[in-house]
Amino acid sequence: MKPPVIQFSDATLAYPRGIALRHVTLSIAQGEFIGIIGPNGSGKTTLLKAILGLLCPTEGTVRVFDCSCHKLRCHHRARIGYLPQKDQVDPDFPITVRETVMMGRYGAIGLLRRPSDTDRELVHRALEAVEMDKQIDAPLGHLSGGQQQRVLIARALAQQPEVLLLDEPTTGIDAPTQHSIIRLVSRLHREMKLTILFVTHDINTISPYADRIALINRKLFAVGPPSEVLNKETLSEIYGKQVVVTTKEEGIFVIVGDYHHHA
Amino acid sequence: MLEMLSYEFMQRALIAAVIIGLLCSVIGVFVVLRNLSFIGAGTSHAAFAGVTLGYLVGVSPIALAILFSLSTAWTVGFLNRKGYLKMDASTGIFYSLTMALAVLFIGLMKGYNAEVYGYLFGSILSVDTGDLWIILSLGAGVLLTVYAFFKEFHFITFDEEMARATGIPAVRLSFLLLTLLAITIVISLKAVGAILVFALIVTPAAAAYQLTHSMIRMFFYAAAIGIGGSVGGVLLSYWFNLPSGAAIVLLVTALFFLAVLFSPKRRMKRAEI
Repeated sequence: MKPPVIQFSDATLAYPRGIALRHVTLSIAQGEFIGIIGPNGSGKTTLLKAILGLLCPTEGTVRVFDCSCHKLRCHHRARIGYLPQKDQVDPDFPITVRETVMMGRYGAIGLLRRPSDTDRELVHRALEAVEMDKQIDAPLGHLSGGQQQRVLIARALAQQPEVLLLDEPTTGIDAPTQHSIIRLVSRLHREMKLTILFVTHDINTISPYADRIALINRKLFAVGPPSEVLNKETLSEIYGKQVVVTTKEEGIFVIVGDYHHHA
Repeated sequence: MLEMLSYEFMQRALIAAVIIGLLCSVIGVFVVLRNLSFIGAGTSHAAFAGVTLGYLVGVSPIALAILFSLSTAWTVGFLNRKGYLKMDASTGIFYSLTMALAVLFIGLMKGYNAEVYGYLFGSILSVDTGDLWIILSLGAGVLLTVYAFFKEFHFITFDEEMARATGIPAVRLSFLLLTLLAITIVISLKAVGAILVFALIVTPAAAAYQLTHSMIRMFFYAAAIGIGGSVGGVLLSYWFNLPSGAAIVLLVTALFFLAVLFSPKRRMKRAEI
């Protein structure tokens, strides 16, 4: 058993407005691919913020690379690549693909210093990894939603992270592009030995790829391999709705009542 | 034509125009991209209140202008970050509070003070050597700071949360940016005036925004428009005996509308439709 990279021990996470997640205990080993699933407002993003050290627990502890939240310094954060939830990039924001990905290097370059040849090389390789190196000089706003997500993933990769946090990377993108993004993440997971936390509310796209699924809604309901946790009882408890779960040869398929109409 | 350059007041005015035009447009790029326009307007009124208090009590108007504009910018930034009040609401409060203070301080003065009104409407042709040194030294400080932290400012402007997650001290840098904005406003106050300084910050950057998809190029375009507009404004003001602040702002705004008309971004969008 590899040592955990991320360890939540009875952690409660709160904002000034109220508690977002209660008493989470979760241990994530190096190289795991974890799908984090739950309805909107269930605390999925909060979980990622705690890992990034942007939000420290009010009770319990969160340890990342064996550092507590308050001690999670810049060089540790640089080891965590993060793709924030994005409605869509402002298409008129003046920035090119190259400039966007180079931002992933800024934490490592440090204040008052300029990018070196090594940084430029890492930007190039990150763009090759997501197959966007041809568009290196394109304005970010000219790309499609899926291409922009690839570039933003490249920005996270340029950090040379060990952990990759992806917050709803497939929301607002058409279905074929969603699958290509997930296949890309899965390939990066295998080839770069990255620990992946993939937040989504779409159970079916993620379940074939994830080693384990964490189901959350204000607390951690269940965590385990998809075949164990994706069952009718647990899912209807989380969503508070009718849930249909079918198991076929290709995998598990879940339909959640009229969830999207109320989201 | 060249005889005007033999007047020392014209030499000073033109040097001031170049520095202020450059400074305002560089800071303006961040202001436009980070939606700080209104906070800048509030800050310039606060700076004016500082100037009036300085004249009233006989303390350096520039020092008090810096104090007033910095405390306004920081308070508004703080309230917004703590989630107490949205930036535009708190700016609105400070905008009118500081203007009320300015009116009060002017009312308490004995008689009419033409210099105070100079700070309200701007008089670049009356910039003296002492003013020019302030403009040069503080201006150099602001530009060097922007140069030193350029990549971090670029990052927090594009995506502040992401910048924090990467380990960049985004909160401190965003307050540093507000500080630079406040100082820029104070430096420009005498030349363009509290009411008009804001146009010189927002308009060249907004014009440059129409013209390019690269932030680096946006800086160069904004600087060209800002410097061209303020130098051109000084010349118009000299030739036609116009109020300098108004001439600068009208010229820069004319350039802005030209940029909108000839914007490659908009042309492309029309083609897509």
